[in-house]
Amino acid sequence: MSYRSLSKHTPTLILMATYVALIAYLSISAEHFATSNNLLTILQTVAVIGIIAAAQTIVIIGGGLDLSVGSVVALTVVTVSLLEGKGIPIFWASCASLAIAALVGTVNGNAVTRLRINAFITTLATLSIASGVAFVLSSGHTNLIASSGFRVLGIGRLAGIPIPILILVVVFIATHVLLTSTRYGRAIYAVGGNAEACRLSGMDIGVVHRRAFLLSSLAAGVAGLILAAQLGAAAPQSARGYELQVIAAVILGGTSLTGGAGSAIGTLLGVLMLGTLRNGLDLLHVNFYWQEVVMGLALGLAVSADRLRQFRRPKGD
Amino acid sequence: MKTIIRALVLILALSVVSGCSKKSGPTAKYKIGFANLTEDATFFADVRTSIDRAAKKAGDIEVIMANNRMDGATALTNAETFINQDVDLAIEFQTDEKFGPAIMEKFNARKIPVIAIDIPHPGAVYFGANNYKAGLIGGEAAAKYATEHWGGQVDKVLSLELPQSGDIPAKRMKGQLDGIRKHIKIADRDILHLDSKNTLEEAQRVVANVLNTMPDAKRILVVTINDGTALGAIAALEIAGRKQQAAVFAQGADASARQEIRKSGSILIGSVAYFPERYGDHLIPLALDILEGRPHEKENFVNHVLITKDNVDKYYPGK
Repeated sequence: MSYRSLSKHTPTLILMATYVALIAYLSISAEHFATSNNLLTILQTVAVIGIIAAAQTIVIIGGGLDLSVGSVVALTVVTVSLLEGKGIPIFWASCASLAIAALVGTVNGNAVTRLRINAFITTLATLSIASGVAFVLSSGHTNLIASSGFRVLGIGRLAGIPIPILILVVVFIATHVLLTSTRYGRAIYAVGGNAEACRLSGMDIGVVHRRAFLLSSLAAGVAGLILAAQLGAAAPQSARGYELQVIAAVILGGTSLTGGAGSAIGTLLGVLMLGTLRNGLDLLHVNFYWQEVVMGLALGLAVSADRLRQFRRPKGD
Repeated sequence: MKTIIRALVLILALSVVSGCSKKSGPTAKYKIGFANLTEDATFFADVRTSIDRAAKKAGDIEVIMANNRMDGATALTNAETFINQDVDLAIEFQTDEKFGPAIMEKFNARKIPVIAIDIPHPGAVYFGANNYKAGLIGGEAAAKYATEHWGGQVDKVLSLELPQSGDIPAKRMKGQLDGIRKHIKIADRDILHLDSKNTLEEAQRVVANVLNTMPDAKRILVVTINDGTALGAIAALEIAGRKQQAAVFAQGADASARQEIRKSGSILIGSVAYFPERYGDHLIPLALDILEGRPHEKENFVNHVLITKDNVDKYYPGK
């Protein structure tokens, strides 16, 4: 491995080492941490956040930000339960929910690229709108999901592995391949690194952003279906605050908030780190309020690390 | 040009949104302001819907709704908004005791009568739940279940709480744990206090985590702050394949809980009803009594009932 390549991967290696240290600490200090059941629980509980984070990585590398993902999850959850309640087969109810999620992504992408509204403002608006629509549709009520076939998506296992974990793995592999081995992946890094240069070279940066927002919303839709299947119930207040957890995981994973740098593997590590930390704090019976402090510190460290990386990054890299 | 187009799109969107909101008739005899505690749970949506329905049934009443967002400062702002809109009476559902006097000071200055829900406000007529008693009913039912099915032996109690939300949820949880302790001997270390954060998914996550710390527990009682967190706990037990080792008792008995209780083999054994869907039927007549100078009680309590598979159809036929 060359010095340049090693330097490029340093943040991921540091994160990996930190994660190993965290696991080692929790294995010693929390009696039931290092059990197969607990490790599966960690993976299962991070699956929903992880799927959204994978797509958010693409958006952030491209220089954007999608705050609407939590509300898209809520809207998906509510839509699928309501449509199922109206007698629509669960498969079509799921498809319709994903279509609505895609619509939100399309609106985000077009508002950002065609109307030139800041991504933060655009997705903050769609966060509010999607959440509001979820409340309007459900009248604020929680609904149960009756289809046992659908619930397999959330609680079923394949070869002993919970299905949400398998989906998480597939999504991360797909994101990694997309970012590293496709023309679109290269375009995302290029646009995030220097949008003006891309525009001057004739690249349609609008298309790049629109696809990223679409993928982000679709991933949130898939995550919503998994969440609904895990819980067997749909509440309009579902996934509130997920956007912050997702962004925290992405930034912790080494993706730069200003775009142009990051990786799917880093995000996966970020997701696992936060999920494992939460699990460990629960297992150690750490006081509720201190848990919030620790999670806040983790986010603070992640953002500080991102700032440090930016200072050290040579211009034009 | 683009700026103009953006401004036009914004104006159009705002016009559509404002056009969608309901307009109240200008001829209503009374204007009542109702500030809901939050809109984030079925319970509160039921309270709002019931007040709206009861007001329409009574006729000649315009209800102005507000959302206190579980925040005292927001409640204070909403109180000012009600005053600016010349309400004849305010129904105040906010649970931050510290803000009660400040809110009442504003209403008293304008001689606007107030009905306070769940937390007594100085000088207001009280209506609401007896949270400790409701918790006690649920806790005693949990203890009874453990006595009848597990010979009075309980390995762990999972208490799914809402520690950030102050006194009311705390009273409810204390009632549940006191109810269990009244009949079952259980050490403090076997009672796990968990932060549900008032969402299904957080309840599911936290229960999934702690279940791994108790592989030998075969008799687990779960008591929860509300129905949503109970559903989250049930999902965690189901995913862990430990449904048969637990019994869940909730608070609220909302439609989702009743649906779950009715399911064959459900481990949601009971949920204490607060009848939020009937709040309006009590609150609107009480408001009219106050406004028209008729005699009325200064303190009005909800009658709590444990809803189980055996009586759900009696209290909620077909719902």
